[in-house]
Amino acid sequence: MRMLLAFFVAVLLLSDPFESAREKMVRTQIAARDVSDSATLRAMRTVQRHRFVPESWRDAAYDDRPLPIGYGQTISQPYIVAYMTELVKPQRGHRVLEIGTGSGYQAAVLAEIVDSVFTIEIITELAKPAADLLKSLGYGNAVVKNADGYYGWKEKGPFDAIVVTAAAEHIPPPLVEQLKDDGKMIIPVGTPFFVQTLTLVEKRGKDISTKSLIPVRFVPFTRGK
Amino acid sequence: MVRLVIAVGLLSAALLAFQLVLMQLLSIVQWHHFAYMVISVALLGFGASGTFLALAREWIMKRAELALPLLMILCGTAMAIVVGVSQSSGVRFDSYLLFVEREQIGRLLLTYLAFFTPFFLGALAVGIVFVRNVDQIGKFYASNLLGSGLGGLSAVVLLWMFAPQELPAVVAFLPVLSGLLIVSAENRRGILPVGAAALALSAYFFYAPSQLQLSDYKSLKRTLNLPHAQIVHEQSSPYGLVQIVSSPALRYAPGLSLAYRGSLANRDVVFNNADWFGPVFAAQRHVTAHVLRYTTFALPYAMQERERVLVLQAKTGMFVAQAFEQHAREIVAVEAHSVAVSALKRELASSTDSLFFHSAISVHTVDPRTFLQSDTVRYDLIVLPTLDAFGGTSGVYALQEQYLLTKEAFREMWNKLTPTGAVCITSWMDYPVRNPLRALATLVETLADEGITQPRQHIAAVRSWGMVTFVMKRSPLSVQEVQNIRNFCSSMMFDPVLLPDINSLERNRFNIMQDTSFFSLVDGILSDRRKTIYSEYDFNLAPSTDDQPYFSQFLKWGSVPRIREFFGEHAFPFLELGSLIIAVTLVQIIIVAVLLILLPLFKKKMMGAGRWNVILLFGGLGLGYMFVEMVLIQRFVLFLGHPIYATAAVIGAMLVCSGLGSWVSSRLSPSLLTRIGLIVAFSILVYAVSITPILHYSITLPQWLKIVLTFLLIAPPAFVMGMPFPLGLRSLSQQREGVIPWAWGINGCMSVIAAPLAMLLAVEFGFSVVIVCAAACYALAFAVGRQPQFD
Repeated sequence: MRMLLAFFVAVLLLSDPFESAREKMVRTQIAARDVSDSATLRAMRTVQRHRFVPESWRDAAYDDRPLPIGYGQTISQPYIVAYMTELVKPQRGHRVLEIGTGSGYQAAVLAEIVDSVFTIEIITELAKPAADLLKSLGYGNAVVKNADGYYGWKEKGPFDAIVVTAAAEHIPPPLVEQLKDDGKMIIPVGTPFFVQTLTLVEKRGKDISTKSLIPVRFVPFTRGK
Repeated sequence: MVRLVIAVGLLSAALLAFQLVLMQLLSIVQWHHFAYMVISVALLGFGASGTFLALAREWIMKRAELALPLLMILCGTAMAIVVGVSQSSGVRFDSYLLFVEREQIGRLLLTYLAFFTPFFLGALAVGIVFVRNVDQIGKFYASNLLGSGLGGLSAVVLLWMFAPQELPAVVAFLPVLSGLLIVSAENRRGILPVGAAALALSAYFFYAPSQLQLSDYKSLKRTLNLPHAQIVHEQSSPYGLVQIVSSPALRYAPGLSLAYRGSLANRDVVFNNADWFGPVFAAQRHVTAHVLRYTTFALPYAMQERERVLVLQAKTGMFVAQAFEQHAREIVAVEAHSVAVSALKRELASSTDSLFFHSAISVHTVDPRTFLQSDTVRYDLIVLPTLDAFGGTSGVYALQEQYLLTKEAFREMWNKLTPTGAVCITSWMDYPVRNPLRALATLVETLADEGITQPRQHIAAVRSWGMVTFVMKRSPLSVQEVQNIRNFCSSMMFDPVLLPDINSLERNRFNIMQDTSFFSLVDGILSDRRKTIYSEYDFNLAPSTDDQPYFSQFLKWGSVPRIREFFGEHAFPFLELGSLIIAVTLVQIIIVAVLLILLPLFKKKMMGAGRWNVILLFGGLGLGYMFVEMVLIQRFVLFLGHPIYATAAVIGAMLVCSGLGSWVSSRLSPSLLTRIGLIVAFSILVYAVSITPILHYSITLPQWLKIVLTFLLIAPPAFVMGMPFPLGLRSLSQQREGVIPWAWGINGCMSVIAAPLAMLLAVEFGFSVVIVCAAACYALAFAVGRQPQFD
């Protein structure tokens, strides 16, 4: 009897009450909007988003929206995280740099796919808890540094991909430098609760081009044509 | 009697000064659009006090000797503590989270309640005085208006003298003193200790004020999260709270070219009311690779050399530094924020390499439009400030008047150009695209007004990954200039958007846009189809005008369902936050006004046509007065050169002159109400057509003469506008004295609604419609007041 009780308690403790919510999130918010990369979808199904939002926001963790995490920062809408991940085409063996760790969610999603994630957070109060959380969840391949992301992480570069999760009014030249040939960098442009456009920077030799992307959720905004 | 008149004046001064202080504080911790909330909450206090008097008149009148000083003292006490309450962790709201967290709605309501309290207590005291002294109402109403007028002016002085967080406690002394001034001998023993305690409390909050808690989403708060960020200089003023922040992580190079390989120096940044004001750039003529050469801002200099440059709304002088670095021989910077300019010249002199002391540069601390209208020099280049913040501002500035971006302003700029001169304006690329399209529409219509039918020959534009810069040239673009622009784009990895011979391939070469509708919209605006584009696009793109100077207001209410469908319920509010907040404020205020006015009316069973006469007469007066006041402030902004001085001058002159009118009215028969009403309605209409040309032709007068003229222009209508309310009250008192508190309440509540309503009317239809509505309000009021029948 005692064994049975212990078993049920263990099952309860180990089970993830948000698993179905997460599955629904992937199905209705991400796959439904044409994010099709299997590695990205698998990572989004695996990473426990609710662990990366403040306690008071747990119930809304899988809602289709960004949420506040303090210090004027947000955890991005699930779809935007998936879309940005898919755009840099992460693979096993890749080294990825992330600028703006926030609560660590995007780093965890990337860490599910690539070998090494190096993530930099400028706000000390966010960097330490994010590092602890990633470690406690077993993401040993995600390393957090509390520093100014402007300079990138030269010693760990060059990178196959750079994901800038915090909006920046210019693309720091050191980040372009630390991008591998054929590497991709993604940068969001938008206000805290309303990411509108993403800019993809691609480096091919000396040529650097940018592409302003519209999340597929927002079809081109035109009328009367 | 004299003491009571003085006490009413002091209390009224405190109430208006406190209103202005709250506006300033909310602008710092949140955003400026809460100014309208403060006006509404203040007037709501007046409305609610009227209703309270209507319901508890007998009870309170029996205890008036005790209640009056006590209410004034409590009003002062509330002023001293409510800001602290509103900033406490359990009450403090964040406007950005209003549409995310339901809890924030409750917090906003608690803030309303906290701010409402001192106004309610103060207004109740004034109301009791009015009711008790209805035969002397002219004197007390005059004292009320004169006091308010002086309160407005004194608030401007106080903003220079004290830190914003100290001001509530400073203002709180006045109501306490007014209460102590009228304590009767028999109540002295009971009330004096209360007054002393209130004074001690005010003193405590003055020396230990509540710290202002900025929204997490204010630029300053986010910047202070950066490593080693610190405020190195701070200065309070009516222009706003200027703070200079230094951090090794602060760099600024908006839309920097990917061709730039150098390092970026860190810069100090100036904030005004915790909003980004501008980065500090140094004079760097010797540095060839000046970072701004790698931005689209450099387009006009890439086209040709510019000798004489005018930088309008120069802020911290980034474009001044650029013109200097580009070897302009004469640079004129115009920035109305004299405190910021002073900081650049003094505290930041080393950071700017004393740029503003260079002989090539002259600085004018005046409103840019005032400067344009009075200056006679012609320029090779006129540079305007960058539109919109990076990535959009969620429409928080939708309700800000931007007279520098109206069609009339561009026409004035056009007339200041040399034959080959140009106007330059840069915008962030937003999505859905709005700012760049409205900027282009304004340029195209300016050209059309000048009789130029081929705008493509006069406008060039280039685009980086995040910004687009437009240059409108007075003469057609030359072949050499076009070639220079192409070379500039090629070396900087920018793409041309507009050239006389543009081809579609070169538009999307380095910075590829997935949504190419931007180009078709640009072409559409340049064609004869632009009016169709304005009407069909889901956002308002038509150029703003002096009558509707809201460049950042793009929302079309008819498009709301479609926009919501596109961006979702959660995202939509952040697209046009400012417009939504003013609409929400109006709805809330109407609900509260109905609860406070109509419901008590039913309870008191005011029967027959008399009820509607009271509502229309006193409600019309409340709406009409506020409408006129708000429009006059806008009209005088351009004339006097700064919103702060225009607000102080108009409110001060209106209240003082109305106060005098009210005083004189005590000697007039209430039967004159109709005649005076017609004079008011007529003078408002005369104003609507004549004030703009009068101000335009007298703008070059010396400032002191302009202030005198302002007073002379405002005095006549304000004088007569002060008469109807006390005359109406006296007329009412002769028939039904018990209805006076209702009249007071109705007038107050309609004034409450008037503030956000005038704003919405101005945004949607323009100031001329607001002024016509004001005349209509007076006309309606006097149609029913022609033979006042309150029974």
